[in-house]
Amino acid sequence: MTTDQLLVTLLLALPIGGFALTALVGRRLYQRAWIIAVGAIVATWLIAMYLVYNTLFLNAYGAQGLHFTLYEWIPAGDFRIEANFAVDNLTAALLIVVCTVGMLVHVYSIGYMAHDPGRWRFFAYLNLFMFSMLLLVLADNFLLLFAAWELVGLSSYLLIGFWYGRRSAALAAKKAFLVNRVGDVGFALGIMAIWTTVGTLNFPEVFERIPLLAESGVIQPWQMTGLALLLFLGAVGKSAQFPLHVWLPDAMEGPTPVSALIHAATMVNAGVYMVARANPLFVQSPSAMWLIAGVGIFTAILAASIAFTQRDIKRVLAYSTLSQLGYMFAALGVGAFTAAIFHLMTHGFFKGLLFLGSGSVIHGVHDEQDMNRMGGLWRKMPITHITMLIGAIAIAGIPPLAGFFSKDEILGQAWKNGFVWVWAIGIVVALMTAFYMFRLMGKTFYGPSNVDPAVEPRVHESPRSMTVPLLLLAIPSAVLGVALGFPIGAGLIEQWMEPVFEGANEVLGRGQAEPFQVLGLDGFLAGASVAVAVLGVLAAMRLFGFRVPLLGLQAKPRPAVVERLTDRLRPLYTGSFHKWFFDDLNDLIFVRAGGLVARGLWWFDVHIIDGAVNGVAGLTQRSGRGLRHIQTGRVQNYALGIALSLIVVAVGYFVAGGR
Amino acid sequence: MSQSLDAYLVLASLLFCIGTFGFLARRNAIAMLMSIELMINAVNLVIVAFGAFTPELADRASVIALIVMAVAAAEATVGLAIVIAIYRNRRTPLVDEYHSMRE
Repeated sequence: MTTDQLLVTLLLALPIGGFALTALVGRRLYQRAWIIAVGAIVATWLIAMYLVYNTLFLNAYGAQGLHFTLYEWIPAGDFRIEANFAVDNLTAALLIVVCTVGMLVHVYSIGYMAHDPGRWRFFAYLNLFMFSMLLLVLADNFLLLFAAWELVGLSSYLLIGFWYGRRSAALAAKKAFLVNRVGDVGFALGIMAIWTTVGTLNFPEVFERIPLLAESGVIQPWQMTGLALLLFLGAVGKSAQFPLHVWLPDAMEGPTPVSALIHAATMVNAGVYMVARANPLFVQSPSAMWLIAGVGIFTAILAASIAFTQRDIKRVLAYSTLSQLGYMFAALGVGAFTAAIFHLMTHGFFKGLLFLGSGSVIHGVHDEQDMNRMGGLWRKMPITHITMLIGAIAIAGIPPLAGFFSKDEILGQAWKNGFVWVWAIGIVVALMTAFYMFRLMGKTFYGPSNVDPAVEPRVHESPRSMTVPLLLLAIPSAVLGVALGFPIGAGLIEQWMEPVFEGANEVLGRGQAEPFQVLGLDGFLAGASVAVAVLGVLAAMRLFGFRVPLLGLQAKPRPAVVERLTDRLRPLYTGSFHKWFFDDLNDLIFVRAGGLVARGLWWFDVHIIDGAVNGVAGLTQRSGRGLRHIQTGRVQNYALGIALSLIVVAVGYFVAGGR
Repeated sequence: MSQSLDAYLVLASLLFCIGTFGFLARRNAIAMLMSIELMINAVNLVIVAFGAFTPELADRASVIALIVMAVAAAEATVGLAIVIAIYRNRRTPLVDEYHSMRE
């Protein structure tokens, strides 16, 4: 085993070891329950950065990346699955996000969870999650990916339901788990279909054979579409796309660091990662790609419209996450894989930042999440305010912050690849995103203070273990776009992702990207996205207030105008506020109608199935009770029985055989 | 020696019935063992009788009779040993007192 292989193994061993140790002895560490977990993740981060540096900058493992087998996992006749791992450019890009955000969230949690008696459990779960997520990005075959897929689902369930004493948290955890199962059924079927059609589950071999099999007609186009859609169903579940998007907003019941790490920056990206990883398969089916783009962009606009009216600060961010994930799927669907991964990375950082910032706000105003009971916090929480402002500008898509580059890349690619409708909806979503983010900023930081008067004097900036991660996340949120995406269309990210998506681009007929034209189509597209972003930001500033302390710029919020607008758009407002009634629809179809069917089956089970089983058992019992009277314990009774039976047999023999 | 096989068979049946009756009716374990011996000997008598009247069975019948005798001896030994062991324990030879294995 070479050093690099050992390091990859360590990358997995450290978090799972941290999980085991914290689970075993964490309770005894009291206040210091974080020490093992955070130590393990910091070490993991260092190793990951070394591997990323080797992969992306030194190109030490070649274009194919580092592949190796740790051991044979399932040796069952012809069905052989190895525990094999790979580090290539795509994995490295994911490692940057997963490990960096993961490490900062761990540090942040030291402060955020300081007063929680279950903190040792929290850190153990966080480490378990990190292990699962790293396994997910490192896995080199579909079955291992699926195992990791389920493991992240498990840790997500455990962490959403971390405060299981609260009924809403327990229900949200259950909901997340169940909705994810729906997607996982598709994913599992897809994997089985790959096994039967391709005959292997190892990524390199599958992706090598798929184009050949498609070309030679062994896999028909409709089969290919079916395969792609089954896998995509898994992605829809994990990445909370329409119609399985309902679990993610409820998942905000978990502690805020969890929302930042799992439900914004890493786990929900697993679907995007999986589709990007399986790109040679997806590009074989144009209709599946079309559907992915449609589902993605529809989720984007649906979620953005809901984010308009939510009052809970974390829910706004949750719908914003849905919306941005929708963007990523739209990008995958139009064939802009690089743009999707780029947006995944930038979004991971700025959404992680926004969530941690919202956690800091919630912490500061003593566990209040309703934005109508916040306001005027910019003076009391300066660091949180500045960092969240950076995050908000980044997500709104205003250059030169990170979100602009990745979002513009997606929209531009959509237009150029002939998906003008995706571009059109996307640009509307960009406008909405800018608006609702600055609505959130206005209501939280700038508007008049609606904080509970009892809490008001005690509102404070968060401890350093929370503000330092915010500051550290603000840096990539600000500069990652320029660093990776400039010059547009030929940035570092393009070079990194080129070997990964080479084959897919060939199938889709994409040549070398042309240089960016400021005065041509590129300039128009970029200008359009900046224009709508600025428009959205300005509109929100006018309505909900704004203030730049240093420059003395400020705008007063106008609640009266907001009120009037709301009244005029009452039906839209109601629909948006109630999340377009998807929860109620699900309740009607699955809980009520499904409940009736289930009750019928329950009756059948209790009366028919159990009746038959219990009937047989009862009959045996009753006959046994009757028959035990002949067991007298007297030898002569038995002997008489034997003698009589013998006579009967003998007589029977003579009567029957004597003829 | 009578020239009729039937006479031997009738005698054997009588012996067997006496044995069966004794086994079922007597309460004393020793008497029951003796009844078993009676039944075994009735069977042995039948075997020997068939052997005597059917030439092709002659030698085999004698061998079987000898084996039955050996088995009977062994059975009597083991049976008596058990009866004595139980007698030491229960202080009675009467089998209807031995009902601790009843349901």
